[in-house]
Amino acid sequence: MNLEKVIFGFFVLLAATLNFGFFIGDIGNPAVHNIYELFAALAVSLVATVLKFGDRTQIGAVHLATSLVADLQLVAASVVWIWAEEISADGLTTVSTASVVSLSGGALLANLVSVVLLVTETVTFHRG
Amino acid sequence: MSNPLLIFWAQLFGRRGPVNRVVSRAHIESSSQASSTIFLVMRRMRAPLIILIVIFSISVLGLTLIPGIDPSGQPVRLSIFESFYFMSYTATTIGFGELPWPFTPGQRLWVTFSIYLSVVGWAYAIGSLLTLIQDRSFRQALALRRFTSKVARLREPFLLVAGYGRAGELLAKAFDELGQQLVVIDESSDRVDAIELGSFHADIPGLAADAANPHHLSAAGLDHPFCAGVLALTNDDETNLAVTMTAALLRPDLPVVSRTISAQIAERMHAFGTPAVVNPFDRFGEHLRLVLNAPASYQLLVWLEAGPGAGLPDRGRPPTDGRWVMCGYGRFGREVTADLRAAGLEVTIIEPAELGESEPGVIVGDASDSEVLARADLASAVGLVAGTDNDTTNLSMLTAARRLNPQLFLAARQNRPTSAALFEAMRVDALLVPTEVVAHEVYAQISTPMLWRFIQEMPARGDQWAADLIQQLRHNCGRELPALWKVRLDLEQAPALGGWLGEGKVVLGDLLRSPEDRERRLRVVPLLLLRDGTAVLTPDGETVLARNDELLFAGHGSERRELESTLVVDSTGAYVLFGQHIPSSWVWRKLSRKKPTPSTVGDRGGTSTRP
Repeated sequence: MNLEKVIFGFFVLLAATLNFGFFIGDIGNPAVHNIYELFAALAVSLVATVLKFGDRTQIGAVHLATSLVADLQLVAASVVWIWAEEISADGLTTVSTASVVSLSGGALLANLVSVVLLVTETVTFHRG
Repeated sequence: MSNPLLIFWAQLFGRRGPVNRVVSRAHIESSSQASSTIFLVMRRMRAPLIILIVIFSISVLGLTLIPGIDPSGQPVRLSIFESFYFMSYTATTIGFGELPWPFTPGQRLWVTFSIYLSVVGWAYAIGSLLTLIQDRSFRQALALRRFTSKVARLREPFLLVAGYGRAGELLAKAFDELGQQLVVIDESSDRVDAIELGSFHADIPGLAADAANPHHLSAAGLDHPFCAGVLALTNDDETNLAVTMTAALLRPDLPVVSRTISAQIAERMHAFGTPAVVNPFDRFGEHLRLVLNAPASYQLLVWLEAGPGAGLPDRGRPPTDGRWVMCGYGRFGREVTADLRAAGLEVTIIEPAELGESEPGVIVGDASDSEVLARADLASAVGLVAGTDNDTTNLSMLTAARRLNPQLFLAARQNRPTSAALFEAMRVDALLVPTEVVAHEVYAQISTPMLWRFIQEMPARGDQWAADLIQQLRHNCGRELPALWKVRLDLEQAPALGGWLGEGKVVLGDLLRSPEDRERRLRVVPLLLLRDGTAVLTPDGETVLARNDELLFAGHGSERRELESTLVVDSTGAYVLFGQHIPSSWVWRKLSRKKPTPSTVGDRGGTSTRP
């Protein structure tokens, strides 16, 4: 067992699960989307990105690309949320909640690709 | 191809053949080394970055969870955005104060904790980054990257120089004068820095790396389509051999010039293709033989090899018979002794170490010891060669020898460039500087192939001929060697001569008249005429020129431009060659309908200044 692989798999999966947890629920209802979950998803996703730095293989490059996409989507979701909460006069409406959640949904897709890559890599690894 | 578009396409692009196809048999990936180091650096930045992210997340999260109080006394928590904002300006030591409201003691406790945490995180991250930037392998990787892209962008023929020692520097200066682009690779980074300091016209890319490594040679443009030749000039024979080998195997089409001081290595180099091998000791021996037999030929050779702008060297007058004393019987000593003996001279050898084989006339002892020198009976000798590989020994030998016999002809070998001033002060009669011999030799071989041909054929013409030519060059061009240039009489370089060349009406003496006044002769000396592979040295004014003749001239730039106008402009050509004025515009020429003929044959050669 390789500790590096454990940490890597842990963060990739945790990024996906946190993201999923935030995304699940009625898209327009702020009550079912906890903002701390979004915060945690973003932080873990950033850590996962850094963990993917410096891998020269083709699959490593795709890994890094998916993570960068997820980061971008989550940062965009956070900015929309900050805008709605702090700047706009109406506060957190159904419309703004829906756009935050749909942006995080995009990130979820990228995270799922990441997980699929992880699983593929593991399955094709023959050394045992 | 019934489609007209396809036909059009084929017409436009179909004939584009592989014009400059590289015949490299193997392509070497050179960038992989550079990128691997950059990946390593990214990998090393992982830990600091992750720690920074974690510290930030914990601090921000903690700050949002701790309750605060707003001005009206209501309990309120900071939002995630507000605490991120607060942590950002606190962790980066900007410190705007407690926003939006003054903190409670609980919040202050947490902030104190997170300030220390974040400062440690930042210090670690920035420290690691700075360490990485100063990391030697990282900087080398960056330098290799920059060098590789610089070489890849070159769009003119360049020479690949491996080894930028004294010889490399001299050559780089000479080639830079000629406008020839170079790419330099040398093991020492000090020498590569010296390229930047040297004031060259062109931007010469330099790489500090081992030239024996094919990857580095490839990065330096060995498989570049514009690579025009490889010069292996390092101090190390093995490295030169490796460079020669690599070039011969990967680019068999390229000319290779290689330096060595060992006959065995030269042999091994010749096993790979046809490299031109330069052995400075060997060449010095040959030069010494030439200077004994034909001092003027030697003077001309040295002058031509020294490159444009060189002053005329003095003509040495060595004693042609008598006994020579050879101090130091190493590789250099053996070569020179063999050459002296081949010239029919008697040689006494002084060598500190006991020689394995018994040679006639060997004195064992330290030649800088005056007693040993006395045993060599210098009073009856005519010349002395100080040929050890130690400059101090050589100099003390020369002083001692001159004291014993002031009439001696002194030849010496200079090993270090820093000793140049000392040997100058000694006023030795013949001085070997191995690096300069290499530089001059390589210059003569690479700058123009015709010069090399000239130098090879020159000794056969005898001493008097060489003395006459030097006189002629001095008369026409002054004491400094003018630029040498070649002209090929084809439609590209001499369109004005077109038809007359085929009819055999162009005579060299007429061609060298001035376009301003054809009674004046251009101050240009024709050195060599090359026709179908046969060479004529210093062709005279009566020589009839033919199409595709190649000529090597010596003369200043202004004279060269005048000759070029004769070769290119129709009306100038007609005036210079035949003394006829033809209209320079097409319309007037059609109207006058007069074809220029050599009607002034009678006065041909009247202005020829052949001595």
